[in-house]
Amino acid sequence: MGAAVQKFGRFLSAMIMPNIGAFIAWGLITAFFIETGWVPNAGFAEMVGPMITYLLPLLIGYTGGKLVHDTRGGVIGAIVTMGVITGADVPMFLGAMIAGPASAWLLKQFDKAIEGKVKAGFEMLIDNFSIGILGMLLAMLGKQLIGPVVSQLVEWAGNGVDFLVNNSLLPLASIIVEPAKVLFLNNAINHGVFTPLGSQQVLEDGKSILFMIESNPGPGLGILVAFMFFGPRMLRASVPGAIIIHFFGGIHEIYFPYILMKPKLIAAAILGGMSGVLTGVILGNGLVAPPSPGSIFAYFTFTPKGEYVGMLLQVFIAAAVSFVVAFFLLKFDKELRQEAREEKEAEQAAVEPANA
Amino acid sequence: MPSINGSDVKKVIVACDAGMGSSVMVASTLKGKLKKYGVEVSHTPVNEIPKDAGTVVLCHQGLAARAQATAPDAVVVPFAIFMGDPAFAKVEQAIANGQDLES
Repeated sequence: MGAAVQKFGRFLSAMIMPNIGAFIAWGLITAFFIETGWVPNAGFAEMVGPMITYLLPLLIGYTGGKLVHDTRGGVIGAIVTMGVITGADVPMFLGAMIAGPASAWLLKQFDKAIEGKVKAGFEMLIDNFSIGILGMLLAMLGKQLIGPVVSQLVEWAGNGVDFLVNNSLLPLASIIVEPAKVLFLNNAINHGVFTPLGSQQVLEDGKSILFMIESNPGPGLGILVAFMFFGPRMLRASVPGAIIIHFFGGIHEIYFPYILMKPKLIAAAILGGMSGVLTGVILGNGLVAPPSPGSIFAYFTFTPKGEYVGMLLQVFIAAAVSFVVAFFLLKFDKELRQEAREEKEAEQAAVEPANA
Repeated sequence: MPSINGSDVKKVIVACDAGMGSSVMVASTLKGKLKKYGVEVSHTPVNEIPKDAGTVVLCHQGLAARAQATAPDAVVVPFAIFMGDPAFAKVEQAIANGQDLES
């Protein structure tokens, strides 16, 4: 069951993750050149719209198709995504994530059905025209059907997010996100859900707090620091290195094992995450592009000009809360108290003979 | 249970969910350690573990079931923490001394 969920999540994130570099290029162009950016430049800023409308969804559609049916799947995925894009009035990440793999799957069925039946010398003709014709038909379907339907879904999802933000309910997301993260669904949640929805929001508001829910390095930092001082002695030595990799390198996986070892620490991650999101909601925080990996450097890069204090508060309040909760959970941990007692006794035992 | 003798190991593959983050990190630390034995170290997403013979797969225990399902014949050695886990030493030792490894 766990493996099946991981697998599906992996499928979603696998369409997005190879393309994160493109998201980052788009985020940098946005951060630098739009009117409110560092060096406003109307000429370069012209790239912002086409990149999010066409480039990013097409890359996702291509990658999604390629996952199902190699390069041929990628090509038809991109064709059909184009139909979906023109049939919608919002950027079609979600549409691309459906159209790409679905059309590749159909092409795969066709290829299977005619396998071995093509007359020698006609393979190339059939191969090219099967993509061409099927691509045309599916793109038309995509424009007429998938585009409008997914547009509507995205609008509802957007309204849902707005509702959560406006009513300060967004922190509740951490109750699901933090445990899922530790079960190695981090990429699925972040890139399967938050990256597409967040990018949509950026187009409207110039930034999105959805990028700061899963990727916030604060909760992990708090837990790791608590482990460094109060965790099992055997593990303490490995923690400083883990902190650097987590906080600066953005590889959050490194703290999951510490939680899996003491599962009750998930409470620290949840409360830390919630406090961070709440801080962000109150201060109106957001990032202009998905910070991936979730390193503090990525956070600085994509924080809108002049909002650094708010961003740092969100990260460090999350860290502080998760640290305090983790501290108490470790302090009152039965095994750890036992370990501390034994150590003390051993120390005394070592001292006494010397005195005698 | 697939098993392999350390001296037959040609390749160690470190797998993680995306094959872009933690596996790359673990692979780069192992590369230095296993170079002298002529063992190649690479990284992949769990779903794309190649089915070559003579391969040992290292991955976090939370992903081990998926790794084994992807490559049923590979020896999958799970680890719990990403740095200094005994599993890394175990694999290195098995390769150095020609001991058996199994899933």
